[in-house]
Amino acid sequence: MPKVRKKRMGFVIDMTPLVDITFLLLTFLMFTAKFKSEAENEQQFVIIRPTASADTTKLPERDLAVINVAIDDKTRDTSYYFGLTNINDQKQVWSMIPDLPPALLDKKLVKADSLLLAKFIKYTLQVRPSTKFAMDADKRVRFKYINDAMNIMRKSHAFVFNFVTEKKKS
Amino acid sequence: MAGGGSLGPAEKVKRGKNSKRKKKKRIGFHLDMTPLVDITFLLLTFFMFTTTMLKPQIMEMRIPPERYENIEVKASELLTIFLRGDGKLFWCAGIPDATNNKPELITLDKIKALSIEKNLKPAVRNRLIISFTVSIDAPYENVISVLDQLNQAETPITEEIGKELDKDGHPTKRARKFTIVEMKDADVKLLEGL
Repeated sequence: MPKVRKKRMGFVIDMTPLVDITFLLLTFLMFTAKFKSEAENEQQFVIIRPTASADTTKLPERDLAVINVAIDDKTRDTSYYFGLTNINDQKQVWSMIPDLPPALLDKKLVKADSLLLAKFIKYTLQVRPSTKFAMDADKRVRFKYINDAMNIMRKSHAFVFNFVTEKKKS
Repeated sequence: MAGGGSLGPAEKVKRGKNSKRKKKKRIGFHLDMTPLVDITFLLLTFFMFTTTMLKPQIMEMRIPPERYENIEVKASELLTIFLRGDGKLFWCAGIPDATNNKPELITLDKIKALSIEKNLKPAVRNRLIISFTVSIDAPYENVISVLDQLNQAETPITEEIGKELDKDGHPTKRARKFTIVEMKDADVKLLEGL
């Protein structure tokens, strides 16, 4: 009796668990990903944040006013930049500021000197008194800039604010 | 569309023993998953490379409103930490003085222990005022490191103070008094050459 010959089929790998995990990871990363805000897109600087030990308090995302103290990439000058996360508030505040150059009206992040920064803080508190303030400063800047900003906030009645830091790598 | 045809019974193919048609084995349908998996992997790698898991964290600060009248504090309840422009740290209990009460040099890693020790001293327990005097030339990074050390010291201090009960039987609340001030010329002179 001739032997029954089995047809050669090559080998088969079951890809199902691989695809399962891949989809799981993909959906997770897609839901957790946050895209750059317009304000971040406009910025001409990179802030290297100072590090602090692990803390559970995270930066709030809603109704936040961010004061950036940053070193410009090109000119190497330190300056203040002001931005609001709430778009409606931002439009209102920007329109309230007298003699703000029209070119700056569309900007989400405005470079400000001390006078303009004081106005921004004042009008922000008028529009929404519950706005939280955050000072996101580059670790290389001198304390003078931080101290000046704190004095401006004090004068503008913003008495509570947060320093933005990054978790220290152990 | 593919061409149809009438579905009348007359055209029905005769099946059965007499049928000459070869019977095909049913194998369900086959779906090629390759392009789907390709795209999925592509997206997955994209998201994996672009996501940053580290979210910035915050350190809350409260600044007192402007006051024009001076508030008197006891010198014994005062602890000053100086941060000089070159990043060096000094400390001094009470009113610093060039002759009798010179500020002492301290390293960053000892700040936490210093704060715990001084805050829990029986004489000034829970009443100590820490004044952090910073030179305007000091890098912001160093300021945050010191603040971080002082914040870390708060947990053991709060725990220790909470062990004592007040007259109503509740744990004593920690009253943290802290201020961050700009270094004045007098302080700069005091720290010169140290």
